[in-house]
Amino acid sequence: MPPVDLSVFHGPLALLMQSGEPVTRFTAEAAAAQPAVVARGFRFLIAAYTAVWAILAIYILTVSVRLRRLSNQVRRLKEQSG
Amino acid sequence: MPARRGILDLAQTILFVIVLVLVPLCLYVVFAVVPTESRMGVVQRIFYFHVPSAICAFLGVGVCAGASALYLWKRDRRFDLLAHAGAELAVVFCSIVLISGPIWARPVWGVWWTGEARLTSTLVLWLIFVGYLVLRGSADNPDQAARWGAVVAIVGALDVPIIYKSVAWWRGLHPRVLKATGGQGLDPTMERALMLCMLTFVLLFTYLIIQRCRLGRLQDDVQALVHAARRGSLPAART
Repeated sequence: MPPVDLSVFHGPLALLMQSGEPVTRFTAEAAAAQPAVVARGFRFLIAAYTAVWAILAIYILTVSVRLRRLSNQVRRLKEQSG
Repeated sequence: MPARRGILDLAQTILFVIVLVLVPLCLYVVFAVVPTESRMGVVQRIFYFHVPSAICAFLGVGVCAGASALYLWKRDRRFDLLAHAGAELAVVFCSIVLISGPIWARPVWGVWWTGEARLTSTLVLWLIFVGYLVLRGSADNPDQAARWGAVVAIVGALDVPIIYKSVAWWRGLHPRVLKATGGQGLDPTMERALMLCMLTFVLLFTYLIIQRCRLGRLQDDVQALVHAARRGSLPAART
């Protein structure tokens, strides 16, 4: 089977068609030889992603709660005014 | 006007749906497709959300400073609302940068924080815009707060080029990954993943700034309605 030329694809499609092999030295063999280092890296990675999405989720939730509260307040004030 | 509002609401919904689709796609690409970096290992994947967050923080500062300058010139309340929204988002995204950065630095540099130029100047930017929000929140006179806030925003924005050039001007631990003229220094797959994450974050930023401006307008409406109720007349309010 001839090799597929990925240069014709751009963006996410090209990404999805490429393998997740390590670039150079961080190979599967190296990872197997140092499981503690890999596990430690994963802990930091998960901590960072949790922090990023927690901050964004809290902010989006805060904005939506404030929006709902203000919309209700505007409606109530309009009703009171006649 | 109602037709225009309907189109705007539809555009916001479409933007939100696009972001909802792109976020899991980004996570899939970052965790399952992108190759592992050779020296730092898996922890380097923090990069794909750390850098776009920094870009969004700069966008927030840019929007805030630009809108502040326009507010000082035109004295149009809409520019002040946009500036306030930009500042709030700059603080949110800068907080993400300042939290994800040390988590990445600890296993790679061996320290959570150093007095390096880029880190320090980013912290200064965060402090300036937290100060902006405190100023806006604590002032008794809204017009005066808007004017002072605009000046703080414009002066604070001068920190952005310093942050950007800090790696070139002063030696530090931060790598120079993105260069202005070609040669990104990244694997092509990594580069495309970064672009995808950047696009997602910029769209999320756009959605959030629209929502934050809407919030500001509603706050104004509430104040106008309260004043009108006291005076016995009812102004036309947005919803």
